[in-house]
Formats: sequence, structure tokens, C-alpha cells
Amino acid sequence: MTALENVEFAENPEPRCPCVLLLDVSGSMNGERIAALNQGLQTFKNDLVTNSLAARRVEVAIVTFDSKVEVVQDFVTADQFNPPTLGTGGLTHMGAAIHAGLDLLQQRKSQYRTNGVAYYRPWVFLITDGEPQGESEEIVRQAAQRIRDEEQNKRVAFFAVGVENANMSRLQEIAIRAPVKLNGLNFAELFVWLSASMQRVSQSKIGDQVALPPPGWSTV
Amino acid sequence: MDVNGQTQPAQGEVELGAPPTPAWHVAAASACGASHARAGMPCQDAQQVKARADGTMVIAVADGAGSASLADVGAALAVNAAVAYLDGQAGTQAWADAAPDQGMCTEALKAACAAVEAAAACRQVAARELASTLILVVAMPRAAAAIQVGDGAVVIAAEQGQLIALTTPQSGEYINETTFLISPGAIETAQFRVYEGALTRLAVFTDGLQMLALRMPEAQPHAPFFLPLFRFAAAAHDRQAADAELAQFLASERVRARTDDDVTLVLAALADQADATA
Repeated sequence: MTALENVEFAENPEPRCPCVLLLDVSGSMNGERIAALNQGLQTFKNDLVTNSLAARRVEVAIVTFDSKVEVVQDFVTADQFNPPTLGTGGLTHMGAAIHAGLDLLQQRKSQYRTNGVAYYRPWVFLITDGEPQGESEEIVRQAAQRIRDEEQNKRVAFFAVGVENANMSRLQEIAIRAPVKLNGLNFAELFVWLSASMQRVSQSKIGDQVALPPPGWSTV
Repeated sequence: MDVNGQTQPAQGEVELGAPPTPAWHVAAASACGASHARAGMPCQDAQQVKARADGTMVIAVADGAGSASLADVGAALAVNAAVAYLDGQAGTQAWADAAPDQGMCTEALKAACAAVEAAAACRQVAARELASTLILVVAMPRAAAAIQVGDGAVVIAAEQGQLIALTTPQSGEYINETTFLISPGAIETAQFRVYEGALTRLAVFTDGLQMLALRMPEAQPHAPFFLPLFRFAAAAHDRQAADAELAQFLASERVRARTDDDVTLVLAALADQADATA
């Protein structure tokens, strides 16, 4: 193997696979719910970094929403991601959070393009135990319309997950894809699934159809 | 042994006593990606090289779609059908120093697509279950033509050694979105390129190697990648041994650390130029 030992590789930035988590931290998420969600974020990080390529390719951003919307984690690769410990309180400004998440993605994509970084179709993952509350109906309607447009143009894949008591039919109206109901507080399995899905997305060549592992964390 | 006293390439058809024709030294291999291995998927790349006695070489490389259940079958069918078609044409056409034209290369894609669609019909599955990219190259000592659907690329070294990306990866906004042979409009919009002039080295590879072999986003060939590989190919006299060594390289930890997709690389070097740059 002497001749081939001299082969050197081009240094290109790793292609990125952006994932935005939109997390409901309103008052009703208080107690064991938020504890399970925080634990789930740790699981997400730990699972992603077991795959060295995913650790460098998957980028996580977190937007929380209660009576205000906050970017608690701007995009960071999984290996640099330190999961925050989230607290709760307030209403459910879900529509505004959707806008903020999609804005964040748009900015990130334009940074990728400026820097010649290749990327995968972004994912947005909304987790809530309720429904939009305390914000104008117009904001929610616009957010839903935006999801519709972005999905149609393949700019994002938007997933909604309902924790117990979530208004699933309202989530259905907001997201295009059928919302999935979380089984109890099985955030651990949800985030292992999300990690496995992001690993697949970030590593195989696929068209529109991502062959995802079947979720074992949803109710039937 | 051929007339130059060298071991004949496994795929060569040089007959004893024939006048000396430029002979291509070839090394070709695929390696299964770690992500495929983890998911229990086979290597979905396929390649075939036909070095003809007249000094013409036909190469086909296909990368099966990760999401297609029979991608490995589709990729193998596509390369077989395309090489058979172009090899058949070579027997009837006096290509001499001019590469085949776009019409003929397009027909080769159609032949490959027809083979894939027939197999899908036979197995009663949708053609997309056999989806793959396809790169075809016809190379002669003084010309080359390439046609490509999807990603991957063809890199050549011209007479003075300058590296040229004859084709470049075709992908959409997202890096994992590409066009497949069976995609609507894929054949009509295929990338067709002709190079006229002496060429001494040639590489064809699938997208698993793109980030290692090309400087992105301009898709400029990375010389420290290609030059040692081309030297290796030029010095390769035993096709089987060269294939095995290349396969070992593609499966090596160094390569695996940078990509976990399937990878395929076909290298060819003209024998009579071998000593000049080795």
C-alpha cells in the first residue's frame, strides 16, 4: 500500500444537517414533563455523538416558547452542543416560535451558501403539550401557511409531536404532516429516534423520501 | 503477455502479434459504506470497465439510491447495459480520434434505463426501487466523452498533466438530493462533455468520494488526491492485484473517517505514458 499512502484528501467543510427544536416551556409543561424533556435533550446529544460523522454534521438549534419566544441555542454541531436545562412558565406562543425557527433556518442556509458549505434538507421538530395560546390568531394562521409553503417547496421537513393533553387536531391544522402523539413521557425514545433519523439523513443519499426508522415512542 | 512484454490487463483484448495499440492500465474498486453496513444494506455502487483492443475504453459507474430497495440490482443492470451498448457501437463506428457524440451517449443511457425498467416490470416493483445515478465514459488516447446523470464526477489528466473535471456533481439544493437514471427528464438533462486532446489519466468516482477528491463548491480536482492515485494506476500491471489494493485503500480507516457512504473509484492510465510521470 505504499503508493496509496501518499493520497491526500481535499479539506472541505463537512456538509451540515440542520435541525431546529421548537420546545413548549409553558406553565403546563411544569414538573415531570420538563424534567423528562431536559433528560431527552441529553439523550439526543449523547446519541448523536456516538456517530463521529453525525457529531460533525448535525447542527442543533433550540427555540423555546412560553409567553415569549427565545433562541436558547443557536445552531451548533452536535459535538459542540451542551443541552440546556429548561424551566417553565407562561402561555404558549407557538405561532411566534414557528416564525422564529423558520427565520433562524433561513439565516443559517444563507450562511452555508456564503461559505460554500453543502447541506441537507432541514428538519423542524415541534414539541408541545397544548395549543397556541396568548397570541393573535393571525400569527398562528401565518405560521401554518408558512409551514405549508416551506414544505411544498421542500425547504424544510416539519414534524409536530404532542405530549399528553396536546390539542392534536389543532396541531394537525398547523403542520402538514400528521402530528404524532408521544407515548407517556417517553422523550428518551423520541430523541433516540430523532438522532437515528438525523444520522440517516446526514449520511445517505436519498431523494425526497427518507427511509426513517419506525417510531417506537408514539401511541398507536 | 502483450507485445510490450507486459502482463495483459484482465479486461484487455490485445492479441499476440497485433500492432501495438495504446493500452490502458486499469484499477477499479468499490467499498461498502459504514452507514450502509450499519443499516444492513449491501454496497449499492456498481462499475464496469471494458478496455477494447483498439485502444478505446468504456467505463460505467453507478451509485444506487440509498432509499431504493433494489438499488444494488439497478446499479449493476445499468452499468452492464450501458457498457454492452457502447461496446457494440464501438465495433461498428470508426471513432478513431473523435469521441462518440451526444446522440450515441444518450442512446447508451436509454439502453441502461430500458434495462432497469424491464427488470422492474419483471419483478413487479416500481422503477424507483432500482434507482441509481449513472456515469458513462468513452476514452481514447486523444479524446474522451462523458455523459452523467446525478452526482459523482469524471476527472482527467491532459497531456501536460493538468487536471480537469470533465463532469461535475449534479445535485439540487441539498447535498443528498440528486437525479437518478429513472427520474423524469434525467436523460434529456444529462451532463454531456467532450474533451479533445491527448489524455493520459482518467478517474471516475461516485459521490462518496466527492468531498475528498474535489475542492468544493467549485468542484476543482484536488491534485494531492489524484496524483498518487494516477501514479499507482500507471504502475499497475496486474489488474486483479491493483483492484485489490485499491479496494483496501477505499475501505481503509483514513477514507472511512471522512465518508461513510459507498465509494467507487475507477482509475485508468495510458501505458505508454507510464514512465514519463511515474
